Amino acid sequence: MADNARRLAAVDAIAAAAGLRPGQSMTDALALCPQMKIVEAEPEEDQRALTRLADWCLRFSPAVAVDAPDGILLDIDGCAHLWGGEEALAHAMLQRLAAQDIPARAAIADTFGAAWALARYGAEDVTIAAHNDTRRLAPLPVAALRIDETVADQLRHLGLKTIAHLTAMPRAALRKRFGAGLMLQLARALGEEEGALIFRTPPARWIERAVFAEPISTPEAVARIITDLAVRLCAKLDEYGLGALRFDAAFHRCDGETTRRTVRAALPLRDIKRLAALFAPKLESVDPGFGVEIVTLTALRVQPLTYAQADLDQANPQAAAADLAPFVDRLVNRFGAERVWRATVQESHVPERAVTRVAPLTPATKRLWASCQPRPVRLFARPHPIDALAVAPDDPPFLFRWQGRAHRIRNAEGPERIAAEWWRKPWSDNEIDRVRDYYQVEDEAGARFWLFRTGLYGSERPTRWWLHGLFA
Amino acid sequence: MNACTYAELNVTSNFSFLLGASHARELVETAKALGLSAISVTDRNTLSGIVRAHAAAKENNLRFLVGARLDFICGAPSLLCFPKDRAAYGRLTKLLSIGQLRTKKGECELRYADILEHGEGQVFVVLPPAQLDFQDFNAWLARIAADFPGSVYLSASRLYGARDLKRLHQLSALAREAGVPMVATGDVLYHHPGRRPLQDVLTCIREKCTIAEAGFKLEANAERHLKSPREMARLFAAHPDAIARTMEIAERCAFSLDELRYEYPNEPVPPGKTPQKHLEDLTWAGAAWRYPKGAPDKVRTQLRKELDFIAERDIPQYFLTVHDIVRWARDPSTKENGKAILCQGRGSAANSAVCYCLGVTAVDPTETKLLFERFLSKERSEPPDIDVDFEHERREEVIQYIYARYGRHRAAICATVIHYRQRSAIRDVCKAMGLTEDVSAALANTVWGSWGGQSAGGAMPDTHVRQAGLDPANAEVRRAVDLANQLLGFPRHLSQHVGGFVLTQNRLDETVPIGNAAMEDRTFLEWDKDDIDTLGLMKVDVLALGMLTCISRAFALMRAHHETPHEDIAEIPAEDKAVYDMLSKGDSVGVFQVESRAQMSMLPRLKPETFYDLVIEVAIVRPGPIQGGMVHPYLRRRNKEEPVVYPAPSPTHGPADELEGILGRTLGVPLFQEQAMAIAITAAGFSSEQANGLRRAMATFRGDGNMPKYRDLFIQGMARRGYAPDFAQRCYSQIEGFGSYGFPESHAASFAKLVYVSAWLKHHYPDVFCAALLNSQPMGFYQPAQLVRDAREHGVEVRAPDVRFSDWDCTLESAETGKLKAVRLGLRLVRGLGQSEAQKLIAARGAGALTPQDIARKAGLARGVLERIAEADAFRSERLDRRTALWRASALKGERTLERDAPLLAYIATGEPQDDALPPMRLSEHVAEDYRTISLSLKKHPCSFFRRALHARGVFQAAELEEDRMINGRRVRVAGLVLNRQRPGTAKNVMFATLEDESGIANLVFW
Repeated sequence: MADNARRLAAVDAIAAAAGLRPGQSMTDALALCPQMKIVEAEPEEDQRALTRLADWCLRFSPAVAVDAPDGILLDIDGCAHLWGGEEALAHAMLQRLAAQDIPARAAIADTFGAAWALARYGAEDVTIAAHNDTRRLAPLPVAALRIDETVADQLRHLGLKTIAHLTAMPRAALRKRFGAGLMLQLARALGEEEGALIFRTPPARWIERAVFAEPISTPEAVARIITDLAVRLCAKLDEYGLGALRFDAAFHRCDGETTRRTVRAALPLRDIKRLAALFAPKLESVDPGFGVEIVTLTALRVQPLTYAQADLDQANPQAAAADLAPFVDRLVNRFGAERVWRATVQESHVPERAVTRVAPLTPATKRLWASCQPRPVRLFARPHPIDALAVAPDDPPFLFRWQGRAHRIRNAEGPERIAAEWWRKPWSDNEIDRVRDYYQVEDEAGARFWLFRTGLYGSERPTRWWLHGLFA
Repeated sequence: MNACTYAELNVTSNFSFLLGASHARELVETAKALGLSAISVTDRNTLSGIVRAHAAAKENNLRFLVGARLDFICGAPSLLCFPKDRAAYGRLTKLLSIGQLRTKKGECELRYADILEHGEGQVFVVLPPAQLDFQDFNAWLARIAADFPGSVYLSASRLYGARDLKRLHQLSALAREAGVPMVATGDVLYHHPGRRPLQDVLTCIREKCTIAEAGFKLEANAERHLKSPREMARLFAAHPDAIARTMEIAERCAFSLDELRYEYPNEPVPPGKTPQKHLEDLTWAGAAWRYPKGAPDKVRTQLRKELDFIAERDIPQYFLTVHDIVRWARDPSTKENGKAILCQGRGSAANSAVCYCLGVTAVDPTETKLLFERFLSKERSEPPDIDVDFEHERREEVIQYIYARYGRHRAAICATVIHYRQRSAIRDVCKAMGLTEDVSAALANTVWGSWGGQSAGGAMPDTHVRQAGLDPANAEVRRAVDLANQLLGFPRHLSQHVGGFVLTQNRLDETVPIGNAAMEDRTFLEWDKDDIDTLGLMKVDVLALGMLTCISRAFALMRAHHETPHEDIAEIPAEDKAVYDMLSKGDSVGVFQVESRAQMSMLPRLKPETFYDLVIEVAIVRPGPIQGGMVHPYLRRRNKEEPVVYPAPSPTHGPADELEGILGRTLGVPLFQEQAMAIAITAAGFSSEQANGLRRAMATFRGDGNMPKYRDLFIQGMARRGYAPDFAQRCYSQIEGFGSYGFPESHAASFAKLVYVSAWLKHHYPDVFCAALLNSQPMGFYQPAQLVRDAREHGVEVRAPDVRFSDWDCTLESAETGKLKAVRLGLRLVRGLGQSEAQKLIAARGAGALTPQDIARKAGLARGVLERIAEADAFRSERLDRRTALWRASALKGERTLERDAPLLAYIATGEPQDDALPPMRLSEHVAEDYRTISLSLKKHPCSFFRRALHARGVFQAAELEEDRMINGRRVRVAGLVLNRQRPGTAKNVMFATLEDESGIANLVFW
């Protein structure tokens, strides 16, 4: 859509019953059905899910292609008999999809074009077109030819609404007006065009697949297969100078269940040994059930990886990270990603919020704390309450007591007034006197402290003193 | 307690967009309450907020310093600049104009070098950067001090940073070293610390980030508010001089905006004549032209009275300038196309006898009840106000004339302040708070523009929040709504006013900064209409009105086809009973102003019989009278169902008939804006200054949050003088309702003239009226489909667009019968067809080309263009229906032009099938295509195709609703095309819609 309006990408059955439809602007949809639940569309995730579904379909045919955005093509030549015929295959497939809550329609035809059209525009959920049977296409709308939206519109304006209308017109007259594209699509659907029978091969992807006539079920076999697949996959990655940050192994069992195991790397990886080592602890828990018939290994988040020239340039931070990466990977895969971190700057005026945790190998940021703000070397996680004596309204204290000891103050600087981050507080509690007045003070012994007072002079809040940190 | 005095010199208001978080008025009022001796508003490179600050300060009796903060692009530190006198002020505005004209709209590029030329007579306060880079800043400070000896100060502020005192000490040392005295400033961003959240949100909007990401872009605390002199003295206890110097600067800079006087242009006055004499000569000459049999005595007396008043106020140039523009517009000899431009003035001064004689308005003062009376009697110190409407397509010519006559240095369009409205406020706040678009859209969409205005303070009520499916108690939603409410009414940016010209005798850029507009070659000054009014500068609104275009076209068509002589509005015969009879039936589709559903239902109740009834008709169906509950009392009194009585004060407070003079014309019911204002003065005891303040507060929708104050003044004022509180409340509600939709009597009178003229055209020449309306689209309330339907119902034959007969515009053709002509729809109705393409077609048609192939070849039109014409079914005269024509057109090659050689041969050679091989098109399909391509169908009404199905469902036709068997309270079903939907802000949660079917229309109310 050319405009910027947000539109519905998909609706469920209930929404459709309420009159909502894909392509509708969200404003219109909300007006029709104010209680509708909106979930942000994730076309990339959809694409990934479709890819996963295509993987799953490998159990029906070795030749599967993703037909984005919402289709999967299978070349079932020579496969149907395994399922007891074409019709049985289609039904078995839909049943299994339904078991996974995936609504689907299927069509089997001579040509890819015809199957595409019948699956989408056919009257039934399953259409099996007999050999050379083009009559089934006749009543379908011209859009079933997978043609340009504008061409379809034009055809409709001329009253040429169905494929039957088109076939009744002289081809030359159509070609003259709508070009070769329409003719090709028509010919492909009708199976007249040579090229129409050539099946599209799936695009090259970073996936390796092992299919077993005799399902495997021992842990050793599982581990060996993963290593085998890793060898093949890493060789392929190596050929292109690539590595991956994530590897997915999928174990398709005879009973239709699929078990997955994932490993992650901090830096792009294609080392067979390391990959196998990272997988090893995770494979123990794979339950082969009655046996695994297909195993796939996929590399995800693929990135360029060249061999770093170690040792020559020690200062090179990339090289240093590469050295550290195997260690970090092991820690992360053992303890979990959330337990391994590095501290970095977070922009906040509130001292305890000025630091945050990031992934261990994240490059250092350029952000810095402002230098004009004195911050202690040691910041207490929780400020310690103290007793202090000071002159109102905002003079520094001249005496304070902490852990039973009195500190007489010789030098002081401040106050630095820091207000609470109002957006983190309940709005009703957002009083303007929720502030801290910080002082950097030095006692007679020369020790330096960071104190603050809450409760402004003249406000309802009682004045209280806290110690928040120690300077060197 | 020692009396401390302090003037705040460093104040950023919300006219530094997305930076300052308080209105000028809030700042001024807080300063007054805190006991400051003076205040300035120093916005960033702009003076756009100073007039309202000046006015607020004047009202609060607080000294106001004109100033601005200058930010440079060359690395120089920012300066506060305060002009000492008028001349220095002119240099400041000039400087800002230079900076603004240098760059694109809304920005200002200043370099230090610029102030060297314009710095004379200014006092500068240098603002040190947040991080003191000593070498660099030292050098700048020394340089500025040397360039403007004795006029430079160094600012120091206490913002509660960690090293505040150290910094203060450093600055004081720097100041001593450079010989520049240090002065204390508050560096204020808001009037009260409670505005910190809003200021943070503004920062997020400005920096396009969410509050969670904003980090160090936000202030650490809420200290950038106005502080009391005592608090400032405490913070600068070690530097009392720095406090005292604020007063020193305030005393040195004595310039006040009151010194800007009106300086009307002198152009129209011939040499050797005084402006007054010239105006009198023109007026009497005009009187002889308007009243060929001699002006009645009443008019002569009135003219003399008005001229005396104009002399006394010394404003003859104002009238002469307006006259000059109008005279030029009416003179065909000065126009390229040799056609005069229709125009009409309105506004408080426009409906005077003088303006009638000068030709500024066509409203004969004898027809109305002499409105100038009020303009005369009101001793307002404001300049007169005249708006002039021109034909909308020709206004640009008038604007070019004004530029040519007065020069761009003396004429410029004033600004319109674009304010945050409900929707924009909630959207921006939600974005800054990191709320999802869904929450934001849900909140923004429920408001529908009806939130605000009506409810007190304009805040979003909880019911709206609940309507959005959100919980008003939810903390995040509550916070967003509260902040949005605060943001409401904040200026967002300046835009060019539609046509408000300010003209001066001397250079305009020495009065107000001028900047670039978004439109090329346009400049506008940074004050809005109210600012101009406040200061009393000369302003004329040059506006565009579609109805004038329509009337002008109608006159031309009448001259060509009906041989009538009319050329001007004033020539249309007045008080034609047949015209009033038509209007009284509610037959007003296409008529100016009274064609809306609400007006249509009012007409039969009001039954206008005279011109003044039309004035009332125009004004009564407006938010003001409706909200004030004035409509029904007026109608009852008019129909003699209720006695005409005048509310009176208690006898001790004034004469019982004090309102009779104000409300006599409207049977004791206040209907016009002037009446509401007069009531404020007479009955509520407002001073004229207070009344002006009320009028301003009214006009700027919640603009400065001042309405509640006037509300109390008004209602208590009336109650104190013994009026019924109920009447006071209703008068006030009406004033609120006027808001920005104010409809003064003087405007209503000018509009009523156009109501009458357009109704006259509709009654006598419906054919002409229909064609003229269609040719002036888009305008008015109805779509071409309804205008055509209405014309057909009035006996006009309407013919479809056709390649053989249609021009670009709709034209008149001779009809078989009757005195009316037939309307031939123009090619302008064909969607997607451009005028230049249509002209090529018309030229090719002259050369005999009428088939798609011939036209494509001879006119050099692309296949797509021919397809659009074919889809509009415009080849009927060639015996090609739309599908066949489209089939032929689609065979044309895709290129823009075809080769010279024989498309006809190609046509035969490719074995083209017979056209009738295409599936035939049903009538219903044709009608649907008609609507798609020309937005109407002459073939049949689309509902007729569904009639059987609708009938089976028990749906009634619109016409059946009028039948006797329809009794009140009966449930019926209706169906039809939705002509319009309205959800007026005045009708709480009520929506109106109009459905149309083949039999007529049905009006629906939803609640």
